[in-house]
Amino acid sequence: MSRPHNRPELLVDSRSSGATLQELWCVEVSEMNMESSQPTERALIRLAADGDARAIRLLYERHAPRVYAVVRRIAGDEDLAQDYAQEAWIRAIRALPTFRGDSRFSTWLHRIAVNAALQALRKTETRRKREGPSPVDVAIAPAHRDSLLQKRLERALDGLPEGMRRVLILHDVEGYTHEEIGDVLGVTSGTSKSQLFKARSKMRVLLADLDGVLQEPGAEAWSI
Amino acid sequence: MEHLTHERLAALVDEVSTAEEAAHLATCDRCAAELETLREQVIALGALPELLPPKGDWRVLEARLRSEGLINDPGNFARLGLAQTPGWMKAAAAVLLFLSGAGTGVAMAQPGMPEDTGSIARQVVSVEDAASAVRMAEQQYVSAVTEYRQLLAADGGIDVDPINRFAALEHLVRVSQAAVRQAPGDPFLNGFLASAMAERDAALRMVSSGQDNWF
Repeated sequence: MSRPHNRPELLVDSRSSGATLQELWCVEVSEMNMESSQPTERALIRLAADGDARAIRLLYERHAPRVYAVVRRIAGDEDLAQDYAQEAWIRAIRALPTFRGDSRFSTWLHRIAVNAALQALRKTETRRKREGPSPVDVAIAPAHRDSLLQKRLERALDGLPEGMRRVLILHDVEGYTHEEIGDVLGVTSGTSKSQLFKARSKMRVLLADLDGVLQEPGAEAWSI
Repeated sequence: MEHLTHERLAALVDEVSTAEEAAHLATCDRCAAELETLREQVIALGALPELLPPKGDWRVLEARLRSEGLINDPGNFARLGLAQTPGWMKAAAAVLLFLSGAGTGVAMAQPGMPEDTGSIARQVVSVEDAASAVRMAEQQYVSAVTEYRQLLAADGGIDVDPINRFAALEHLVRVSQAAVRQAPGDPFLNGFLASAMAERDAALRMVSSGQDNWF
């Protein structure tokens, strides 16, 4: 079955025509990106919104590293990060039928991930406050580090107070504006700026401290 | 002028310095170097790579998505090429398979059973064998039910109360949902639930439209 890959709209709507997901899959996957021989994102989203496991998995494989990265850095803890990422995906798949394509899917998904992580973190904080400090409350080091620089940055990020870390990650890592951060965190853009500058300054100190801790023989020096 | 504070230097990564600050930075190596280091820090943070989720993350997620009904499993029938089979037949075949499995289990547990009762089970040594056995059983069942319907129709038709049938299917869906909650990743249970829900919805549509021809 061949079809121009730039077909503007799908021809089959499973909800109105009664077409099976298998039939839809055959139609949709013919919407290929000719360079990569992969189904287009729009086709995958349509199928995933209908609950197609293969489409959901493909979307997951394309976007999971970005989702995991942002929730991991916000959480500051690997175990929490996995829970938050799962929650983000559940929310996103549940909300897929409402995705209208006004923004890029990756942007839409990223915002869901950030909101899910922040909301879950607030719950975790509330629980921790209620239960008192944990005897071992140390952030777990990330598993995926491919350079000494990244290692130091991730370690320093984990060492930041949570409020500062959120703002720093959203602004300096994820590229949010202060207005967007204000929307997401429920603070003014002035507060966001103030937290960011404190976070950068604190980060600078933490990195300087880590210079002694993490310096490995033969490794190039990190000047920050 | 005194040295600039760390926080002010951090702000100057994005903001424009005042004339006084600019003059200080032009003459103070320490503050200028610190500002340059903070700029490098911000660039390095922006270049942090994506992170791969832990191994097994998809499996956990898939199980959760199934348990929340967000994945429509094509089910065993679709995998076996029976996607076009009417829903009532799928549900009935699934019930038969369940009952025949239970019956075989009971029979095998009884001493003195005929020697060939468990012969099929013993012949099944691989997943392919099992799938083939299931496919054959389903086909036989579908043929038998079709023949049964034809005979009943020839005998004066089938008298089924639509409301009772809908209520029975609703009950079946609830029981199936409970089973799926207990074993979310089980493909048979998911397929069975999907078939039961489809048939219940069809029954509801027929009740609503006043139709009484179930087949």
